[in-house]
Amino acid sequence: MNSRVTRRRFVLTAGAARSLLAADADFPARNIDFIIPKAPGGGFDNLVRVIAPALEKYLPHKVNVVPDNIPAGGGGKGIGQLYRARPDGYTIGAVDLPGSFILQERQGGAGFDLNKISWLCAMGKPEYFCLAVGANSPLKSFDDLKALSGTRAVKFTSSGPEGTAYAATVVGANLLGVRAQLITGYKGSSDFVVGAIRGDGDAVIAPVTSIRPMQQSRTVRILATFEPRGSFAGVPDAAALGQPELSRILLDRLVGAPPGLPAGIKTILSAAFAKTMADSRTVDLAKKFEVDLAPNSADQATARVRESAAFYGKWKKVLS
Amino acid sequence: MLHLWLGGVEGLLQARELLFLGLGMLIGLFFGAIPGLGGATALALLTPLTYGLDSFTALALAGGVMGAVPMGGSISAILLNAPGSAPSAATCLDGHPLAQQGKAGLALGAAASANAIGGIIGTVSVLAILPIAKDLVLLFGPPELFLLAVLGLIVVSTASRGKMLRGLIAGVFGLMISFIGYNDVTGVLRFTAGIAYLWDGVHLVPALIGLFAVAEMINLSVKGGAIAKDAKTVGITSVTSGLLETFRHWRTVLRGSLIGTVVGAIPGVGGTVASFLSYSLTVQASADPESFGKGNIQGVIAPEAAINAKDCSCLIPTLAFGVPGGVEMAVFMGLLVLHGMQPGPLMLIDHQVEIYGLIWALTGSCVLASFLGLLVARPLSLLTLIDSQILVPVVTAVALVGSYAVDRNIGNVLVTAIFGILGYVMIRFDYPRLTMVVALVLGAAAERNFHQTTMMSDGNLSVYFHRKVCLVLLAGMAALLIAPFFRGFRKFRGLPK
Repeated sequence: MNSRVTRRRFVLTAGAARSLLAADADFPARNIDFIIPKAPGGGFDNLVRVIAPALEKYLPHKVNVVPDNIPAGGGGKGIGQLYRARPDGYTIGAVDLPGSFILQERQGGAGFDLNKISWLCAMGKPEYFCLAVGANSPLKSFDDLKALSGTRAVKFTSSGPEGTAYAATVVGANLLGVRAQLITGYKGSSDFVVGAIRGDGDAVIAPVTSIRPMQQSRTVRILATFEPRGSFAGVPDAAALGQPELSRILLDRLVGAPPGLPAGIKTILSAAFAKTMADSRTVDLAKKFEVDLAPNSADQATARVRESAAFYGKWKKVLS
Repeated sequence: MLHLWLGGVEGLLQARELLFLGLGMLIGLFFGAIPGLGGATALALLTPLTYGLDSFTALALAGGVMGAVPMGGSISAILLNAPGSAPSAATCLDGHPLAQQGKAGLALGAAASANAIGGIIGTVSVLAILPIAKDLVLLFGPPELFLLAVLGLIVVSTASRGKMLRGLIAGVFGLMISFIGYNDVTGVLRFTAGIAYLWDGVHLVPALIGLFAVAEMINLSVKGGAIAKDAKTVGITSVTSGLLETFRHWRTVLRGSLIGTVVGAIPGVGGTVASFLSYSLTVQASADPESFGKGNIQGVIAPEAAINAKDCSCLIPTLAFGVPGGVEMAVFMGLLVLHGMQPGPLMLIDHQVEIYGLIWALTGSCVLASFLGLLVARPLSLLTLIDSQILVPVVTAVALVGSYAVDRNIGNVLVTAIFGILGYVMIRFDYPRLTMVVALVLGAAAERNFHQTTMMSDGNLSVYFHRKVCLVLLAGMAALLIAPFFRGFRKFRGLPK
């Protein structure tokens, strides 16, 4: 093979490099599509809509970041669309874990591989789950729930089988040694928490952020929290329950781009996201619905995907 | 309580808030009138623009949009048989036949006044029930929602008198279509034929645009002439008569408003059910049911009153629990969050003045939009005199573009075209589109709630007999099924109807 650098080859290579650099320098030159693989109105959708206007502020050029809800197939269609989009930085998307792992496992046809997505950042710190019942429930403590489990399966209201809450409920109940039967099909966390309050099921396992406002308004009673150090007075946490693994059941909301995203564009987007996560107004707004935003990097997001994959990989059989 | 109501009014009666309310009203009218756009699209586009506004001003703008969308939808439904949004499809059924008879002014006048009165009744009802809102929302679980869906299907089936068999065929076809896509309960994709577009089922708004607007345009191009071709002049002077008709049929207005209020307060049911249920129950209650679908003014008044009453009451599940009643409310929730208001039980405590301000904004916009609707009814009625050679291409293009705009998906355009042909075939062979639409709307919800009820009760059907609301709904179903026999008996005995 001739390895001699000819003038022609040099000019061609330099030209290609220059156009790539120019593409990075020009980025973004048009609107960015922000795919949300969930229906409008849920916590996930709300978070993206809070972040999107701030993100526009921190991009090097003035463009719009346009949220685009693609909830079909339990979110599989949206993530598949993100995965197959051109890796030019103009399509990014929000992905929740662990629900998306189950989607990937069950909907092979959706054709995406979470390990290959170019991760940009995490939208907030990972969230812990907790176990709650309606305020009028006869179950007053976790011991009551365990006792019920001894007589029959405890009914939990939850999302569809490809939702993050479904995974948290199945794994959480398993770790707690509670026999569980899931009432599925609720649309979003508000819907299945209300289902438990109404008495459709005995209890619910949901993110702390969804439950806390309900607890403050005395609509629900929290029986157990999966936090390593509980934030609810008098409620047993993961340590007190003797199951530290419970605190590994986390809800992650990550932002990714199609595989093969050029490094320059990835850096621009990650930097803009890091600034957005530190933007005081955005942080305040997110805090109002209990999400803790904090600056984080693309590497940290990628590490979260690996950790989540390792933990839920152990439960693959139960979940699918 | 009164000081909170007044606080809401006071907040709204500022120059800036009134300006944004008016702006929202105009945007709502426009987006409501264009098939496929609707309130959800308007709010989605406006939400980022409200980032710099204070929360009360943003709520005035959103209230203005949501209050005016139904009036915009009525205009296109009546004049062009093109529902601006899904709930307005019920208005097409009698509103457009009136336009064809040269009575567009009458229909628009009745729609505007029913809109305004329905909105006001809805507001009064919501103000009365807001303190007990949470209890009301919690009354409706999966068993009740399943029975409500079945009740809706029974109401519509029994309303299609004289063509019951064809109604049932259309209904069953609608149910089959509604089962396409992702099953929320089992997580399984069904009947999608490997087409990714169908993962989310057949989208309702593009289907309705096809079934009504495109079907009507095909019909018009086959027949030729104008929409009101049989009328020498359009009855534009009858706008005032339409207004009076609404007062004459005050029972229909009241019934529609109450149905709208109750259905709106039930999470996840939505305005389409409210408008079609109100329409069908009005047909049921009428002494002359055969006149519906041919231009009965009550067929305009009933759905219009329900749609606007629903607009206020569907705030209840949205604000009390963060469970939206439809797509428009879901997008509206995003706007609330952007302004630091998290829908849920605490919102009813922490943001009471804002909530009342929003309710007044909705009502104000609804009344103002109706007034504006009355003003423009006369010139707009002239649309029905335009020849089909000009009207058909324009309306078809607007319908297809509107269908695409729902979620910027080219698949929607194909769905609209297919349903357009289907709708024309149904017109041609006199199959009722009403039963098909209601089955399309209710099918998936009925299935999901049935599955959930079965899981709740371990398959024990007696759950339906142990819950008070279920018993009321079952009694309603029994009454609806017995009523035709009772009527037949009275007819046989020669007794008055």
